[in-house]
Amino acid sequence: MIWEVFRQEEAGDRHTHCGNVHAPDREMALLFAQIQHGRRMQTNSLWVAPSDEIGEVDADETEFGGTTDKSYRWAITYNQIDASFAEEVAESEAEQEEAAEKRGDV
Amino acid sequence: MDIDDVKARAGPREFSPSDDLPLEYREAATRMLEFHANSEVMGGYLDKEFTRMAPSLDRKLACTAKCQDEIGHAQLLYRAAETLGVKTREEMLADLTNGEGKFLNCFHYPVDSWYEAPMIDFFVDGAAMRRQATLKDTSWEPYAHAMDKVCFEEGFHVKHGEDILRELMTSSKANQERTQEVFEEWWPRMLQFFGPTNDESTHNDFAQQVGLKTVSNDELRNSFLNMYMPKAEKYGLEIPEYPRIFERDDGTMAVREDDLDWDEFWTIAKNDFEGSHEQIGSRRRRQEAVEWVRESMTDWETAGADSPQAAD
Repeated sequence: MIWEVFRQEEAGDRHTHCGNVHAPDREMALLFAQIQHGRRMQTNSLWVAPSDEIGEVDADETEFGGTTDKSYRWAITYNQIDASFAEEVAESEAEQEEAAEKRGDV
Repeated sequence: MDIDDVKARAGPREFSPSDDLPLEYREAATRMLEFHANSEVMGGYLDKEFTRMAPSLDRKLACTAKCQDEIGHAQLLYRAAETLGVKTREEMLADLTNGEGKFLNCFHYPVDSWYEAPMIDFFVDGAAMRRQATLKDTSWEPYAHAMDKVCFEEGFHVKHGEDILRELMTSSKANQERTQEVFEEWWPRMLQFFGPTNDESTHNDFAQQVGLKTVSNDELRNSFLNMYMPKAEKYGLEIPEYPRIFERDDGTMAVREDDLDWDEFWTIAKNDFEGSHEQIGSRRRRQEAVEWVRESMTDWETAGADSPQAAD
């Protein structure tokens, strides 16, 4: 049975997928996960979940973010406004800009 | 863990669902999250009005996108709240419908014109974002995680709101005057957004001791004034004489709290204001109007296993 492993580096971080292990049950999966994925990288917590229990939808099957122009919903569109007056607004805009670059929108 | 352990350990994102937390902490966190989630719902319903009033297609699209975001934020927050095991999502939503659930003062005032859009979308959202940015450091980890996504999205709301204000204040004189009138109506409500001074706020102290809140109402209100008053002035809005705003010795701004209508504020806090009845009632009626959608989805979900699919 295959178990997907999710590692949290520090308390408060999200658990992110880091690999999988082959184990007969949850207890063994947690043990193997510690050995294979918890030793070298900084680890605060590990989750394991049976691979079969994970559902997936990928970019071949759907258009994430839709198929129409949604520029109206991004901060960078409103370029007559300077976001720097409030750090949280500027930070949000910077995060959105980074996401837009990764999506390939800019 | 007892409450002293919680106070000793309290820090950003310190407590997660795997921790054994005392009831007092879980109740306080539930109260904050439920209030926040309810406010997202009621803010979304209020904002919905602007889609019809918006003067252009672009603005209408942005307004619908914003409502969608707010309802999405509510979903994240109800999730973070129900994990505390004090109240279920159904109980929180039922309480909001029956008038028990509490939410932000600014969302108890029905809106009836486009001039009110920048009041909500720029000033009130800007104030909300001030507070939400500080909640990225709350001690309840699921709350902080929800704030990561909420703050990511909010930048659009605030900038769009400011863009509406810019557009109105650079258009006709009539528009500018109307915007000023509406601003004067909303200004005291915005100042009350952060609640009363610290010593009058009942839950503040405990929430700060256990790390749920990291910044006091007072500090938030003052930083809001320092950032948003210059913005209002930049677009030619005149700050009303009352409530009086003054500069403290350290250069920060503060408000004379006696100039604000706290009777109205506390009536709102009990959901007993005229506008409270109107807003809660209008959401309830809309919920009832789409009951058939929820029912058909439940029917569809519960069908299948034990009952045969309906023939086409």
